[in-house]
Amino acid sequence: MGCSNSGAPAYGEMSWFCCGAAWGPCGSAGGGACGTCNSSSHQCAWPNASDACFNITRPDQCGEGLARRTCGHVFYVTSQCSGSCVSVSIADCGPDTNSFCGERTCCGSACASNRLIDLTPSAYSAIASLSTGLSPVRIDS
Amino acid sequence: MPSTDRRRFLSSAVLGGTAVAGATALGSLAPETAFAAPRIDLDPGARDPNFAEGRITAISGSLLKVSGSDKALHRVYVTHGTSVWKLRPTTFDEIKVGDGLYARGVKMPDGALAADAVWVNIVNLDAAITAIDSGRLHLDHHGNKVVGHVVTGTTAAVYNHTPAISDLSGLQVGKHVKVIGAWRPDTNEVDIATVYAGI
Amino acid sequence: MLEWPASVQPLFIGGTLLWSGGLKCLGRSARRSAERSALPSLVGEGRALFAYRLTGALELALAAVLLLPPAYAAEAVAAVVLGVGFLGYLTYAKVAAPDSSCGCLSKRRTPVTWRSFARAGLVTAAALLGTQADAWWAGGLGAGTAVLLVAEVAALLALSPEADGLWLLPLRRLRIRMRHPLADRSFEMPLESSLQQLLASPAYRQVSPLLRSGLRETWDEEDTRILCYTAEYEGTAATAVFAVPLRHYLPEEVRVALVDESSESTLLVGV
Repeated sequence: MGCSNSGAPAYGEMSWFCCGAAWGPCGSAGGGACGTCNSSSHQCAWPNASDACFNITRPDQCGEGLARRTCGHVFYVTSQCSGSCVSVSIADCGPDTNSFCGERTCCGSACASNRLIDLTPSAYSAIASLSTGLSPVRIDS
Repeated sequence: MPSTDRRRFLSSAVLGGTAVAGATALGSLAPETAFAAPRIDLDPGARDPNFAEGRITAISGSLLKVSGSDKALHRVYVTHGTSVWKLRPTTFDEIKVGDGLYARGVKMPDGALAADAVWVNIVNLDAAITAIDSGRLHLDHHGNKVVGHVVTGTTAAVYNHTPAISDLSGLQVGKHVKVIGAWRPDTNEVDIATVYAGI
Repeated sequence: MLEWPASVQPLFIGGTLLWSGGLKCLGRSARRSAERSALPSLVGEGRALFAYRLTGALELALAAVLLLPPAYAAEAVAAVVLGVGFLGYLTYAKVAAPDSSCGCLSKRRTPVTWRSFARAGLVTAAALLGTQADAWWAGGLGAGTAVLLVAEVAALLALSPEADGLWLLPLRRLRIRMRHPLADRSFEMPLESSLQQLLASPAYRQVSPLLRSGLRETWDEEDTRILCYTAEYEGTAATAVFAVPLRHYLPEEVRVALVDESSESTLLVGV
């Protein structure tokens, strides 16, 4: 339905993170690298949101050539498990891709390697269950 | 219907084979064409009206009163069709005042949320293992110490996409892991549901 | 009597300051370390990196005068002042910005704890002892002072969370390898394993757009695990019941039925 229509999608693992005001161990998460992040909005963390961000996450060390996309850029993220899709805007830097190079997650025959995107709980729960920590997705701009 | 009869009915519906009068058979349809998957669009930065987050301040009947971390107040209805997760799939009576919560459902005209799914105290931690002792993982979560309790019969480990197993002996001190678990309210301790580790 | 241990203290303090100052001035992640420290709340966001590098430059300069001849008593006094100043900074960080990193001896994020205070105390005490020295440290080197230096460096490393990777983590790994406390030899199949198999199955992919809830209920029926979700089918609420093989990984054998519990009728079946 218009989600998976870009010429050069990225395939990778998705997880979720909390930001903004939050409870529990998330309490000190803050507004994210863009200062606008909150768990109830459809937002995401992207490993190549700035130079400083890229130097921490280093997706290139896992062989991932991710485009530089800055705060506010909108992605369409499609679950490879359910086919559901959600639009999210960049609000933070992450995940720490190079800490888990080569990790793989599959749904049926659809597999994805490397942690490329983290969604806020509201966005993640729209396309997958929060109790699944990792899920394979297609990411379109 | 008593609970054992209900389970027997549901089991026989799925295990009884395809010869069910009046039921449609799915088998011939390709997975991608069976049903259209929804697309969810929301203006960037807008709050999702079908989602609620916060701490539970009161429980009355099937209604959860939730104080959002951003000070918004939510009313969340849990029905017999709502899934409740608290370390594992569980029931409404396991939810306690003071628990943290994420809920997804449908916003009703009166402003309350009719929940499809609630996740109680759920946390998703990217952390490094600093020590392991009997029944516990000691974790460094962005500089904060978190104790992860292993719950026998529930805690599972996934080592880089291998099937989940209950043997956690592959975990190593110093390595990064992702932990899905249930926070013990107002402590730095979690009960571990799943720990994802590289090899 | 204090002269022989005092004489080598400039070497110990100089070496420590070289490590600390070098990381602050030349470390590639100095900006991140500065931002995570308590300096932004002490001197302001814009000046944190400058203050961090300035401290590093001061430490390097002091290290140079301590390590190079000739030896002046004022050098050790300056090290005492620096040590006391650093203890004051740690106290400020603990009180005013408890979530900050100490920004001390590595690029790793290490919060201010009792170990930070003990380490700063150790360096300050060594500097105080160093004020009793009356000659350049190279002249005081011997077997006794070498043992003392090794003990001081060991204490410094033991008190440095940044150095845990060198000795503490390998030690813990060894202990766990000898007796892993979390080994589980049971044959119980974790629920997560059945969920993985469910997600990999054609049956799940066929009906997943109809699912509304997370996993609602599960139980085992001999060699099968039953998993129930709430679904919506043609405008009515239904229960999606999946049957997943319990002890075998055969996702293509996962079965599904959509059931209307109120009328006890089966709406849809799939294999």
